[in-house]
Amino acid sequence: MRVFITILIDSLRLLRARALFWVTLALSALVAVLFLSIGFTPTGMSGLFGLLNWEQEMLRAGSPMAEAAYLWVFSTFVVGMWLSWVAVGLALISCASIFPDFLAEGSIGVSLSKPVRRLTIFLYKYIGSMMFVTLQVGVFALIVFLAIRWRLGVWNASVFWAVPVVALIFSYLYSVVVLVAVRTRSVLAAIFAAIVVWFVSWAGQKGEEVLYAVAQNEVAEVEGKTSWKQWHKMSVWAMAVLPKTGETADLLDRLIVAGGQRGIGQGAMIESMAGDEFGEAPEIDAAYERHTIGYIVGTSLAFEAVLLGLAAWIFCRKDY
Amino acid sequence: MAEAAIRIEEVRKIYSGGIEALAGVAIEVPRGSVFGLLGPNGAGKSTLVKILLTIIRPTECRGEMLGRPVGCKKVLRKVGYLPEHARFPEYLTGEQVIGYSAGLCGVSNHETRRRTAALIGRVGMAGWEKRRLGTYSKGMRQRIGIAQALVNEPELVFLDEPSDGVDPEGRIEIRRIIEELRGEGKTVFVNSHLLAEVEQVADRVAILAHGRLIEQGLMADLTGVGRSYEVRTEGPVPGGLRDRFKSQGFKVQGDLISVAGENPGPVQPVIDDLRRAGVTIREVREIRRSLEDLFLSAVRNNKGAK
Repeated sequence: MRVFITILIDSLRLLRARALFWVTLALSALVAVLFLSIGFTPTGMSGLFGLLNWEQEMLRAGSPMAEAAYLWVFSTFVVGMWLSWVAVGLALISCASIFPDFLAEGSIGVSLSKPVRRLTIFLYKYIGSMMFVTLQVGVFALIVFLAIRWRLGVWNASVFWAVPVVALIFSYLYSVVVLVAVRTRSVLAAIFAAIVVWFVSWAGQKGEEVLYAVAQNEVAEVEGKTSWKQWHKMSVWAMAVLPKTGETADLLDRLIVAGGQRGIGQGAMIESMAGDEFGEAPEIDAAYERHTIGYIVGTSLAFEAVLLGLAAWIFCRKDY
Repeated sequence: MAEAAIRIEEVRKIYSGGIEALAGVAIEVPRGSVFGLLGPNGAGKSTLVKILLTIIRPTECRGEMLGRPVGCKKVLRKVGYLPEHARFPEYLTGEQVIGYSAGLCGVSNHETRRRTAALIGRVGMAGWEKRRLGTYSKGMRQRIGIAQALVNEPELVFLDEPSDGVDPEGRIEIRRIIEELRGEGKTVFVNSHLLAEVEQVADRVAILAHGRLIEQGLMADLTGVGRSYEVRTEGPVPGGLRDRFKSQGFKVQGDLISVAGENPGPVQPVIDDLRRAGVTIREVREIRRSLEDLFLSAVRNNKGAK
């Protein structure tokens, strides 16, 4: 435990010393405050603490859709764009040099000459690096949690799901960074590899989504229906080995509680905007939930485990 | 020989690509001694130390360190290490560097605080412990490096080029610390290319060249080989005495009489004769090989043998 705390404290000190940590934290706080500035008036929504106003009967203060809309803005723009892309990207850049610096000659010797197994040092260092994104999103989620209380009058602790979800996305990609960093000790190569995996993963998911939609829509009309389904199946198999960064981010839609029930699915939002009952769009929600949480997280973690296992193996066997 | 802190044999390291860094090195380091490992650049000194500290995996290694097989992690609890070109994170303060090493060795918080305060004073860094390493000179970083190597109160300390970048005053300080450690019964393993430094503190030395051990032994024995004594007189040695000394096999040149021998016995009659003849003796001194002489001749002989 003493060793774990020592490496964790060292990681914290490292983060504190990095300018990018504070820049990212400041930007996160700014985005959180922008979210906080969104409010509900008797006639609709307001932004920038009342400087901007939109009249929308459905979203007026106290309406059942206000909470869902507020959380939808949170999950779609704040988490889906800011946290899932910008914050994760900044975190990757910021943390990419942790392992190469640690492995530098004259630095690694001190840690490896101590009575601690290499694997333990490796894992603790990895966990320590994860604190970057955990702290960032933790602070962010706290501001959002307070914002929801202020704007909607409810304590919605489910927004804290953003912390593990974003940490998961970061961890998938960070495993790529760690593997390349341990192998090459090059920060640039590590960042580049992570970006490639991120892009391939994103493109693969989009491709699978399109194939799913085509396969579903042409069931009764097109003769080649079976073929599309087969293509879709193949894309699912291909994607199974890649981390599902996008789908993991979409999990927040299922995990956040709104209107007293879990899930603010896209279908529910669309139907609600169109004036229907809250949560009545089964086919859209079914599309969003075509993969179970276990599949999305499980296969992604398997990817991460393989890469981390390989990185740990190299780290443990390498001469420094 | 006293109980060994390190007893290793057949230490080999062949890097990928077939580069042989160590070719069957055997070393014995007695407990409580200061051991100097010497060798030209690329001789394999740091590789040997790193193998003992589990930083490098040996191709082959038989032996023990502090009574446990080499490679045993637990024994490192009793070992301290200052790496060559030590590079501690600049965002840490001196105190935090020491605390990091203590933490990895499992030293409690309370004990770490107590030891850190004592070590900061011992290495002459009082008043600097709360400043970041980025503000330190190279010598100051080296001092903090030594402090972190001692925070777990080790029985065996490895110092890889401890005087690297340290000013003359700092070198004297480091030598004093090494002598204090020996006084406390600790074993100190010094890796250095600064022969004069090692000569002043080491009890035993070993010389590595091209991954092979070419000389090993007590400093006194190694530098004592080919020992002689010199007697200098006030003015040239008088003719009669000069002839007598020459007939006894001594060299006489002007005011200098050279007497070869492992002990000072044969010098005594020379002194008696000079005093009887009323010649003033200016100086009598023992001539030993310096470590530099020993090192150079060993390395040259090794080159010649290859």
